[in-house]
Amino acid sequence: MAKPAEHAIEVENLTKRYGDLLAVNGISFNVRKGEVFAFLGPNGAGKTTTVEIIDMIRTPTSGKVRLLGMDVTKEKLAIVPRIGVLPQDFSSFDRITVRETMQFYSRLFSRAHADIDGLIELVKLKDKAEEQYKNLSGGLKQRLGIAIALVNDPEVVFLDEPTTGLDPRARREVWEVLLGLKKKGKTIFLTTHYMEEAEILADTVAIISKGMIIATGSPGELVENNANYLVLTLQSAEANAFEIIRKMGFEPVHDNHQDLKVRVEHTEDILKALNAIKDAGGSFLSLDVRRPNLEEVFLKLTGEALHVGPTEGGEVL
Amino acid sequence: MKVRVVSANLVVKLKTFYRERTAMFFTIAFPIILILVFGTIFLDRDTLSLDLYVQDLDHTHASAQFVKALQINGNFKINEVGPASDAREYAKNHRLNLILIIPKDFENLLNQRVDLKAPNASVTLMYIYDPSSTSVKTKMEYLNMELAGMNQRMSGKPPFYRWEETSILNRKYRFIEFFIPGVIAMAVMTASLFGTVNMNMELLQKGIIRKLSTTPITRTDWILSNILYQFTLAIISTVAMLLVSYGVFHIDLKINVWILVFILLDVFAFVGIGMILTRFVQESQSAVAAANAISFPMMFLAGSFFPIEMMPGFLQTFAGLLPLYYVNEGLRASMIFGDNLAALRYAAIIGVFAAIVFALGIIATRWEEAK
Repeated sequence: MAKPAEHAIEVENLTKRYGDLLAVNGISFNVRKGEVFAFLGPNGAGKTTTVEIIDMIRTPTSGKVRLLGMDVTKEKLAIVPRIGVLPQDFSSFDRITVRETMQFYSRLFSRAHADIDGLIELVKLKDKAEEQYKNLSGGLKQRLGIAIALVNDPEVVFLDEPTTGLDPRARREVWEVLLGLKKKGKTIFLTTHYMEEAEILADTVAIISKGMIIATGSPGELVENNANYLVLTLQSAEANAFEIIRKMGFEPVHDNHQDLKVRVEHTEDILKALNAIKDAGGSFLSLDVRRPNLEEVFLKLTGEALHVGPTEGGEVL
Repeated sequence: MKVRVVSANLVVKLKTFYRERTAMFFTIAFPIILILVFGTIFLDRDTLSLDLYVQDLDHTHASAQFVKALQINGNFKINEVGPASDAREYAKNHRLNLILIIPKDFENLLNQRVDLKAPNASVTLMYIYDPSSTSVKTKMEYLNMELAGMNQRMSGKPPFYRWEETSILNRKYRFIEFFIPGVIAMAVMTASLFGTVNMNMELLQKGIIRKLSTTPITRTDWILSNILYQFTLAIISTVAMLLVSYGVFHIDLKINVWILVFILLDVFAFVGIGMILTRFVQESQSAVAAANAISFPMMFLAGSFFPIEMMPGFLQTFAGLLPLYYVNEGLRASMIFGDNLAALRYAAIIGVFAAIVFALGIIATRWEEAK
């Protein structure tokens, strides 16, 4: 008999080994009920292995995983009807329509009265309901995958890189769907290597690298604790702006667009730097001040970049 | 086993099949085309009539009577070659494998023999033939048999050795009736083997099985629905083949419950082999190649298309090791001979094989991802 769980997911000393490769190295964490928990890390960090152990696609080498208060290695049959999963690189039957696919999965869960039309509407696929899977674009396929993950009205939803490979517009469409789920109070376990995705969607982010969790907290806490500085980005007509700032004791860099980037500890430093350029007779073509993002936190913590593709956020300083 | 889950999976598979024209073609149309082509090719074999080219250099009443006798008694279809032609050149130019030449003195020598003016008189007929032809030997044997019969009749004495033929069958069966059970067994084998290999590889590679493993469907439900799906296709395909065969070739085969039994065992055996292949072969192309390596020898050596008695002894022994042989023989025992005991014996053998292979297939089927 499962005990009522305070946490939806409890992971303790989880390890997964493939031969000599240690994919997950003794990680521990909890996911509260109703929160969106994001696993953030580059490809090969161990995100998918971890989520696939929790959602019972794989078995652990050692450690304990409790999902909804039950041991995932022993109570799969009891857990499965209560969770929804969008696996990495989700795919479905090519010649089956969106509606038929939903009907198929609802029958697998023995949910005769599943609100298929409602789910199709939720993921904004109403116009494509009679379209075969093979004719859907990447974004539409992912949205169908999310709808399938919800067909049994699960308590916990696992989404393994739900927006990887999608163009920015399709990615934002998926985010809208996920924000809708968040409002409904679903517990969501999300893996991603897009920091912006984690920042927008997650209540808690765990940064994973080389099979180990290296930091956990809300996006704000992670930035506050690990990258407590400001980034000044400017484009100046003054040719010596770089040299002026360097002489003030800062370490400016040029980014890809030849903009000048400076990391500063205090807001007063920004004013000092700007005044120094102005005093030298310079003017500013553009100016931007912002807090660092998770990308920079990740870089600081691991020494490696998070992205494998083009970024949407700011440049890494 | 959950009926709802199994039926949901079956419906998806059948819809996919219905919408996949290539699969429809190879499962239903291809075996029918095979039956139509082979049935037409071998139609003549049941009412044997061989073309025979004759050059009559004698051109007498007796030689004309001789040619007529060959036509009537020997079932030869006679074609004349003009007396002015060079028979060898004519055969080469017209790609003929045999020309029979009746010499000039034919009637004269025949009369001398019949009138006992020269009791030992004989006539030499000339065969101009192409030794590279595969069918000329058969044609020459038929001709020799016919000439031996004529010699016997000319002697005026009744033959000492006589024979009487009693068929073990109530009637003579035709080649097409031998062929149809073989094609049914072969079509069910290929559909089950390739269907399982292709579907499993596609679902594995696309990650659909990974998604299914997070739902209440179990490995048993999955395999059972696969069996039901292949069995349904096999029944559709068999009914189509039988309808065409009855309609076009007016076959006379017995339809009984054994057909269902052998089709089911055929499905179990080759779905099992398909499941084992997809476990051990990583790439879909390699899996198809492996399926081909299994099905091709089976097709040609298990007696699907021609009786294994036509093969050398060691190949006949080898045929006994092939599971398809027992399906072929079982279907023929039941459909042609109506021999329930023989059908039971073959069903028992293929049944044991199917049970072992299918059990291994279940063990081999990957449900949890193995990276």
